[in-house]
Amino acid sequence: MQKVLRKRILRDFKENLVRYLALGALIVLCMYVIISLIGTADTIITGSEKFGETHKVEDGQFSTFVPLTDAETEQLFEKGVELEAQFYLDYELADESTLRMFKNREKINLIAVDQGKEPEKEDELVLEKRYAEEHGLGVGDKIVVGGKDMHICGIGCSPDYDATYKDFTDSSVSSIQFGTVFVTKEAYQNFLEEKNSVKVEEYIYAYRMVEVSDGRTMTEDELKEWLDNLKVEADEIEDAYFQEFWKEQTKEKTKFEDGIADLKDGAGELADGLEELSGIKTGLLPLDEGIIEASEGAGKLKDGVDEFADETQEFLDENFDVEISNLRQIIKKGDNPRILAAANDQVINKYGGLIAGVIVLILFAYVISVFVVYGIEKENSTIGALYALGVRKRELILHYLCLPVVVCLIAGAIGFVIGFGGIGESTIMGNCYSYFSIPYMEPMCPAYLYVYGIILPPVLSAVVNYFVISGKLNKPALAMLRNEQKQSKISNVKLGKMGFVTKFRIRQMLREARTSATVLGGMFISLLILMLGLDCMVMCNHISIANKEDTKFEYLYTYKYPEESVPKGGHEAFAKTMKKENLGYNLDVTILGITEENPFFDVNLTDSKSEVVISSAMAQKYGVREGEIIVLEDEETETHYAFTVKEIALYSTSFYVFMDIEQMRELFGESETYYNQVFADAELDIESGRLYGVTTKKDIEKSADVFINQMKPMIVMMVGVAILIFGVVMYLMMKVMIDRSAFHISMVKVFGYRSKEINKLYLNGNFYIIAVGAAVCIPVVKKVMDMMYPVMVSNVACAMELAFSWQLYALVYAGVIATYLIINALLVGRLKRVNLAEVLKNRE
Amino acid sequence: MYLEIKDLKKSYGEGGSYIQVLKGVTTGVEQGQMCVIEGTSGSGKSTLLNCIGGLDLPDSGSIVVDGQEIVGLKPEKLSDYRRERLGFIFQFYNLIPNLTVRENVQVCEYLSEHPMDMDELLETLGLTEHQNKFPSQLSGGQQQRCAIARALIKNPKLLLCDEPTGALDSKTSRDILALLEKVNEKYGTTMLIVTHNNSIKNMVHKVIRIKDGQISKEYVNETRIPAMELEDL
Repeated sequence: MQKVLRKRILRDFKENLVRYLALGALIVLCMYVIISLIGTADTIITGSEKFGETHKVEDGQFSTFVPLTDAETEQLFEKGVELEAQFYLDYELADESTLRMFKNREKINLIAVDQGKEPEKEDELVLEKRYAEEHGLGVGDKIVVGGKDMHICGIGCSPDYDATYKDFTDSSVSSIQFGTVFVTKEAYQNFLEEKNSVKVEEYIYAYRMVEVSDGRTMTEDELKEWLDNLKVEADEIEDAYFQEFWKEQTKEKTKFEDGIADLKDGAGELADGLEELSGIKTGLLPLDEGIIEASEGAGKLKDGVDEFADETQEFLDENFDVEISNLRQIIKKGDNPRILAAANDQVINKYGGLIAGVIVLILFAYVISVFVVYGIEKENSTIGALYALGVRKRELILHYLCLPVVVCLIAGAIGFVIGFGGIGESTIMGNCYSYFSIPYMEPMCPAYLYVYGIILPPVLSAVVNYFVISGKLNKPALAMLRNEQKQSKISNVKLGKMGFVTKFRIRQMLREARTSATVLGGMFISLLILMLGLDCMVMCNHISIANKEDTKFEYLYTYKYPEESVPKGGHEAFAKTMKKENLGYNLDVTILGITEENPFFDVNLTDSKSEVVISSAMAQKYGVREGEIIVLEDEETETHYAFTVKEIALYSTSFYVFMDIEQMRELFGESETYYNQVFADAELDIESGRLYGVTTKKDIEKSADVFINQMKPMIVMMVGVAILIFGVVMYLMMKVMIDRSAFHISMVKVFGYRSKEINKLYLNGNFYIIAVGAAVCIPVVKKVMDMMYPVMVSNVACAMELAFSWQLYALVYAGVIATYLIINALLVGRLKRVNLAEVLKNRE
Repeated sequence: MYLEIKDLKKSYGEGGSYIQVLKGVTTGVEQGQMCVIEGTSGSGKSTLLNCIGGLDLPDSGSIVVDGQEIVGLKPEKLSDYRRERLGFIFQFYNLIPNLTVRENVQVCEYLSEHPMDMDELLETLGLTEHQNKFPSQLSGGQQQRCAIARALIKNPKLLLCDEPTGALDSKTSRDILALLEKVNEKYGTTMLIVTHNNSIKNMVHKVIRIKDGQISKEYVNETRIPAMELEDL
């Protein structure tokens, strides 16, 4: 039986070639996109982990005031902590970009040279690949760094700069502005001695936890404690700016010590003088006795002052710690935004892709089932006859399942091959390569992806269609022979008194409820994809525009060692970096203490240590509203601070918590004049040795466009896929609707209905479904995507402005309606060409 | 003559599959007449009916209905012609399944500026108590009555019936034919009934027999028998 029925399958396929080809093409496209996304994600995640292993990525890094001694390094090694100094120097190039120079690594964060070789001579360097790409540099080219001509001997990358953020607080990577280079030890030493770096050398150590013989490897917390206890005398720190800073910090104590010393000296001199005087006899007994008593008293005073001075010194030493911890900062690998950034970026893509794939496949399976059902309804009498002749339901189910399953299998497999092959995965990986500094990774396809791409589409199609087809074939043979149409409850609904046209349309809509629901389902899913693309576009555009608008200052100087007084023309600020968790990612938030006079921030400061104003970027990212309490963590001291949000200030560039600088100084125990940042609208004359860095408005403006440039291909792809899914699903479903009504449409034409009237009765209902459906779906989908999107970009530290302008809503709505009208015109055109006599003849 | 057909030709297909269905049919029907077009399967009777109804375009010839030539009319004009003058009744009723009886009739009521009274028509056709039922809840006879009501509601001058009793048992067929007869008498509707049932010709005013695309016999029935007395239906 099956053999005979199988002959029909090919005929059925040929008969509905356009329909199956359109759907097949859509499955191919969706599987291509999804397999590309998931495959890329797997390749990047696994490849990055492997890269980290082979190139010994650090477990963390810390910076110190003074370099560690060999003995300290040895001690740590014995405790299972392998260290490698990864000091660096920053150089500004002629194009105002910055290159960070490291010695070539030997133990940790080894560089991977994609082209060329590692540096061997003093004038050779390996240039970080993304910077090289952005600047059109290659092996053999020359580059001037720190006033020296250097030869590029290799292009590569290192696992500790997977995302080449210049500073940890940067929200985007800009390889036009920043990159890394690696030189030989000797070359680095020469650069260091020439002191052309824009800032002093940073003492950074990368560490890896290794097995030790007694099996007792230090934990990272123990390492932090150990480093915290590593004290240095201020005098040991050679940096002149540090010494100046330290003097300023300890000047009160020094004054006090000087006073005590003066007192001590005075008391000693007094005692000595009186003792000397007591040796001279005046002959006046009472006077001589008085002098002796005074001398004894002065001696006692001296002893007392000495004792006081000793006690006071002890007290001062106890309470004014002159030894400072050598540890400046420690960052674990997991908290370092530069490490595994590409892999972290792909995690959401992977799981999002897996879920999206299943949803889209179920939709397509359902779309197929709708026209399989339509086919069954047309063949009711034939099926009844087959039942009467002894054919089993199971055989017919298999027959009707065959084509959808085969179409899904072939389309899924083609999509899988394209997605995994050169066109798909490598295209999306290209996007990744154009942002992250990672080595070339061989595209990989884990076993589950084969199952997902090749087995899942036909299986889902079989399951969905089985239930739908099985239900349709449940009728008794006689009922099918007679082609009895069972009215569903929803179709039987009583409509009461209303106009004929309205009533007719409602009946028509109820009749096509399943098909309409599929169209709306398709609309919902395609709008989700569209909204994903548009949210991404709106967010990136907002960053691009608002970051430029909101940045009122021209220069931001971040101090390592602030001067005693604020440079003229500058506005002091006190910035403290805290952590705040967002959906599993611990992002940096800066508490910024500013003065009321600061012209660069439009903020209503409070006279409170607990009430703060937060930037709109932070409010959007963390979903915080006025009146709510936010908790920030100071990781260095492991202290949590809770603040009440009094107001949200319009500022999109950074996650800021604004405070009055005086309140902030008091809160964090700093002096009344302390500051560590200066904002200015013109360049200030500040020695580079005092600074961590300078951020200019130009830097911010350049990096503001990075997101939109990076995401543009993805946005275009999302919008394109959404339009295609919507167009094809709507075409197929409307075709089914019109096909199902074709006979009745022809019938009413026979009665004398004109085209306009037919549209009014049969087709305008579809328009209302689409029009109302879109009006409901667009805001609902937008709301859903606004909830989902922040999760998708939870690792990105940027403002989350997702609001659409009314024009954009109108454009989306108009797009939906236009798609409907085009498809409607295509289908109605076919309807007009129908031969009425033929239709009647076929029916009978 | 209310309906005048001259030298009507119609063919289908090309080359080897070419077939001439109507080979120069010439005939006519007077206003208010009931006329049967009979013939064997494939004789061309349904094609002739479809051409008269403006559903199929003849290759050549002329069809004049109430003084209006319909051959060569544009689709929109043909729609107007059907809308204003014609009613159709089919063998398999062709009711719209998701509309109630009343709503099915309203489909054609909507087309007429001066429709018949709906309630009166439903009453005449014995459908009052079924007016809120869906076609699937009706018997074949009731469905055909609904189809007749739908055809008559717009008060057509010409009613085209294609095998109106072809799917019904003899008792129901008789009822339906009696109904048509009653409508013809009451409203003066001209009726063309395509059938291969030999008995129906006995109740009508005129009989046209078609064979191989040509009229083989045409005569006026002088001895009409009322529908309720027809035998062998």
